[in-house]
Amino acid sequence: MIEDDIYRTSSQFRLWSYTEASLRSLREKTNAIASERVRAALRRAKEAHQSTTSANGTPQTGSDGEGKKMDDKEIDCLTPEEELAFVRFYCEKTLELGETYKPALPTMVRATAIQYLKRFYLTNSPMTYHPKSIMACALFLATKTDNYYMSLRQFAEGIPGKKPTTQEEVIGPEFLLMQGLRFTFDVRHPFRGLEGGIMELQAIAEGQGQPGPHLTHQTPQQLQQKLLAISPGPVRASSISDRIGRAHGTTREILKTAAQMTDAYFLYTPSQIWLSALLLADRPLAEFYLDTKLGGPLTSTDIKPDPSDLQNPLYDLRTKLLRVLTDCSALLQAYQPLSSDPGQMADLQRIAKKHHHCLNPEKKLAPKRTPAGTEASPAPASESETERLAKKRKLEAEKARSSQDIFGPELVTERTKQ
Amino acid sequence: MASRNGVDRRDDDEVCPVCKSSRYLNPNMRFLINPECYHKMCESCVDRIFSSGPSSCPVAGCRKTLRKNRFRAQTFEDIGVEREVDIRRRVMHILNRREDEFDSKRNYDDFLEQREEIIANLVSRIDVAKTEAQLQAYASENMDSIRANQALEEEEASTFQARVTKEQEEARQRRQAERDRLDAERREMQAGREDFLSRLASGSSADAGKIAREGHKVLLKKSSARRSEEDRIRQKQAALRGSETKRTGTTLSSVEKSGDSGLIKGLRKIKTPEPEKPYDPFMGYVPEKRDYYTLKQSYPSGYLDRIRNDPQAQAGGYDLREYYSRTLLEAFAGLGVFVEEEVTRRDVSQAAATEGAAVAVEE
Repeated sequence: MIEDDIYRTSSQFRLWSYTEASLRSLREKTNAIASERVRAALRRAKEAHQSTTSANGTPQTGSDGEGKKMDDKEIDCLTPEEELAFVRFYCEKTLELGETYKPALPTMVRATAIQYLKRFYLTNSPMTYHPKSIMACALFLATKTDNYYMSLRQFAEGIPGKKPTTQEEVIGPEFLLMQGLRFTFDVRHPFRGLEGGIMELQAIAEGQGQPGPHLTHQTPQQLQQKLLAISPGPVRASSISDRIGRAHGTTREILKTAAQMTDAYFLYTPSQIWLSALLLADRPLAEFYLDTKLGGPLTSTDIKPDPSDLQNPLYDLRTKLLRVLTDCSALLQAYQPLSSDPGQMADLQRIAKKHHHCLNPEKKLAPKRTPAGTEASPAPASESETERLAKKRKLEAEKARSSQDIFGPELVTERTKQ
Repeated sequence: MASRNGVDRRDDDEVCPVCKSSRYLNPNMRFLINPECYHKMCESCVDRIFSSGPSSCPVAGCRKTLRKNRFRAQTFEDIGVEREVDIRRRVMHILNRREDEFDSKRNYDDFLEQREEIIANLVSRIDVAKTEAQLQAYASENMDSIRANQALEEEEASTFQARVTKEQEEARQRRQAERDRLDAERREMQAGREDFLSRLASGSSADAGKIAREGHKVLLKKSSARRSEEDRIRQKQAALRGSETKRTGTTLSSVEKSGDSGLIKGLRKIKTPEPEKPYDPFMGYVPEKRDYYTLKQSYPSGYLDRIRNDPQAQAGGYDLREYYSRTLLEAFAGLGVFVEEEVTRRDVSQAAATEGAAVAVEE
């Protein structure tokens, strides 16, 4: 199938498609590395604090080891599941944020931003970078990649909050985000595909449908007859085109929410996603549409009109596809918006509290627009000012040295050195 | 030659079966046959009967229609042999597959046997019509390969002929050289002797013995020098000939190679190069071909119709068909891509790279 080959060339398939197992293992790995770092960072912060106090007064070398052990126990990092829920919360927030603008940002832009967030947090942990800061940046980046122009000032002013968000805060983590995205900005959404499918269904409903290239024996009239004969959908509709319209609306809603918040984009292809959503919205309609494309209802194989060689590969495809679509629609159906579920909300509050404690103190994003990961460490105490300054100078020198590199300094070594 | 001998031998008592004139009366009489019926008749009868166009055979009981241009002199004394040779030639002409065209020796042998069977059938008049039909069908089907093989055969025959001529020429030259050499030797011997005699005649009797010895020595020296010279020349020629045969050998084999590539490598099929296909810039990809849908010129849609009729939207060159093709492509792009299995397969090879990247980004 030529369309499939076209999709296989996309970066979404090449870099951002995973199996369930690989997705899980990747998240676990990210989480493990991040937790390790957070623990180390917190320990260092504690040590720094203790050293300053000891410098002031009584040195307590003996209690240091005990304190460290206690810290390790105290620091309770997020689990991968908690991280996922936490990121999902911010994905929903992104959706809301997009709606606060006048006019609201297009669905496509918001969906792209959400996918950026999800992709970014596959290899980065929310414990390292707070999703709140990344979220705005992702949305702004999405307006640019989806060709929906908006000035940075306008964008920053539109972000609600107690204190206004500065432009620097929005743009700050942009490079970091792009790096996390592996510089692939193309997100294949199911929305446009849905429009195409609905368009074709409408054409069939009006007797203008074209059969697929592999099933040319059907005439437009036959297709129309079959469409009119399908079993009634979940909602009573006055006419078939009304029914298609309703299915369209429902599917679009599912795609806007469930498809974005779940891992559907990682696990399935856009056309599988929209067809699964259509299956949820109006099962007979979706099955009819698949029949026109891949031939023959699956359940009654014995009355296949012509068991020719041509149909066999399509038949295999159909069987496989039905399984995948069922899986995908189950995934979409399992989605429940956070706001409608108090249990999840309470859980989320717990996670947020926990997250507050285990946020990596060394990775605060400076509101400064630097080409690479920013290094300005927070100033916990003013006592060790001289020591801190010396460290900073050293880092600065290092940065100057590495900034001669055209792509900026190497992030990894810098961060670990700190 | 055989026929000439035969004709010569049976000079007198031969009688033309048509006009009954005998060689006795007409010593220049030649007998001709026609491969249609192989009835023998004299040249004058052929002229007389068939000059005005095709006519039936004058031999009683034979109603074959004969043409003058097919008449020819008899090669073999026995008409049966003559006929068989003719049939054989014709069949071999059509069934001229070569051994290197077959996959195995066994297949070639089968083919040979089949050919012999066909010849035998034709010769002994068994299933003639059927066999002829087979032959004709084969000939029309395999016109090209038959012609190619004929060309090959001709080429081989001509190279063989050329080689034979060359060898003969060389032998002739060698004989000539040898004769020249012997002549020269004899002349020299003669001259030496004459010189010796004249010196003996002019010189005193005292040194006659010495002169005789010298003359003998000179002759010996000359002959030995000549012999060594000859040896050298012979060696040179041998070396030359060796290299020549080597060269001709290589050229021969190369000729054969160009004719049928399989002879040396043991390939059994002559591969005619496939006709060049028309240039395909997309390597088999047809830009407008789609597998899941057929694109129509227009689709019914309320809000798109507005755009179609809106001159403002159209002015910039916007074409709704672009939208149609894009939405429909996206509707089906990747429908048959099963991420689960394809990614698993891909990850096996790319695992290291992907994880490396992930770790790098995370760190």
